[in-house]
Amino acid sequence: MSEVIVVTSGKGGVGKTTTTANVGTGLAMLNKKVVLIDTDIGLRNLDLVLGLENRIVYNLVDVVEGNCRPKQAMIKDKRYSNLYLLPSAQTRDKSSVTPDQMKALTDELRKEFDYIILDCPAGIEQGFQNAIAGADRALLVTTPEVSAIRDADRIIGLLEANETKKRADLIVNRIRMDMVKKGDMMTIEDVQDILAIDLIGAVPDDENIVISTNQGEPLVGSDNLAGQAYMNICRRIVGEEVPFLDLNGKKGVISKLTGLFRKN
Amino acid sequence: MKNSVVIKGNKYGIIVMLDKDIPFDELLSDITSKFKESSKFFGKASMAITFEGRQLTSDEERQILDIISDNSDIEIMCVVDNDKRREEMFKEKVEQRVNDIADNSGQFYKGTLRSGQVLECESSVVILGDVNPGAKIISTGNVVVLGALKGIVYAGITGDASSFVVALEMNPVQIRIGDVIARCSDNKSRFKKNKPETKIAFVEEDNIYIEPLSKDVLNDLHF
Repeated sequence: MSEVIVVTSGKGGVGKTTTTANVGTGLAMLNKKVVLIDTDIGLRNLDLVLGLENRIVYNLVDVVEGNCRPKQAMIKDKRYSNLYLLPSAQTRDKSSVTPDQMKALTDELRKEFDYIILDCPAGIEQGFQNAIAGADRALLVTTPEVSAIRDADRIIGLLEANETKKRADLIVNRIRMDMVKKGDMMTIEDVQDILAIDLIGAVPDDENIVISTNQGEPLVGSDNLAGQAYMNICRRIVGEEVPFLDLNGKKGVISKLTGLFRKN
Repeated sequence: MKNSVVIKGNKYGIIVMLDKDIPFDELLSDITSKFKESSKFFGKASMAITFEGRQLTSDEERQILDIISDNSDIEIMCVVDNDKRREEMFKEKVEQRVNDIADNSGQFYKGTLRSGQVLECESSVVILGDVNPGAKIISTGNVVVLGALKGIVYAGITGDASSFVVALEMNPVQIRIGDVIARCSDNKSRFKKNKPETKIAFVEEDNIYIEPLSKDVLNDLHF
């Protein structure tokens, strides 16, 4: 059974595109057939993060307008043969596509793919409405900042108000445990307290992400904390029970034990 | 003397039945003598008065009232109008008011109010959930939040300063009760939480007070 997942946040710059690229790649590593759709028409960049810019011939608007078949526009990933990208158009705007057209497109892609992942643009206007139209569930990306959380809260409200009542799972991105410990940053619990939706993953702020994004090589599955965190999110999406990572970095056996006792 | 003026009593006061055919001057003199006669009977009394049997202009009515107070010790508290339409209007108003008081019950809203959502209520409202920052509740009555109140709340929006706001965790950005408005302090950290405590907000002498919900505070509530 295939699933259409929208990656959304409300606020810009919190890591929607990076999350889409890593979750998509991670699901492909778990042997799922995946297509990533960049719905940010006019501000195309998912192709950059995946390192596939040079392969683009057709785009999402071409498919919707019938200039080409979906098969022609979809780019096969250079690392995983079961991962595809449907890039957005750079020269058009959000009004080139309607929610009904997006729903029809995702429904058609369901026949062929296990997961259809939509990279949603920032904002709550037409681009957002297009992206959520055909989605079964949402991954809500936020950072532990009041502005990002406020926008995320608004998004949850809009998703709940949508007639399909989409379920949203929370990804807390760019968390810095050193700042959390000093009390300068919200904890994951604080974020959950406000948003009151299920947490599906927490990704630490990691300079490796900047490096991997610039190189166009998703880091999911690599042995740094961020790569592991993304891989865990993918495994939770496919239905595995995975314990949450200890984001405090490497700890000795003794401190792990005292941590256990403290919890009780 | 014809009985052009008849005085009847009931538990609220007296009904003065007036002859509708005789000239007004004659009627006035009849009223004068009637009240002179009965002033001993009424003594010093305060009562309401109703006129029946004759359509009176307000000027005529005033003349009659002057005569009554000149010729007896009766103090007329009010003139009860007998006009049917007006009576019904009064009745309607009184019943509406009574209903309003009975309507002190309220509505329930289940769910969390999120940023950008506004809940407007023409009654009191109980919210089973949180009111997140950026969300707003507007109520003509009281607001009770069984959860955390972190948004904006307007209680008694039609000007009722006796309204109150209760929340299990009271952290509103802005709170308005009747015409009094208050905001949270600027230097409060936005994510470091205090221990949640059930609190009540109410108006006293044009200031909004937020206090822990205790029996004493509840006993002082009037609404």
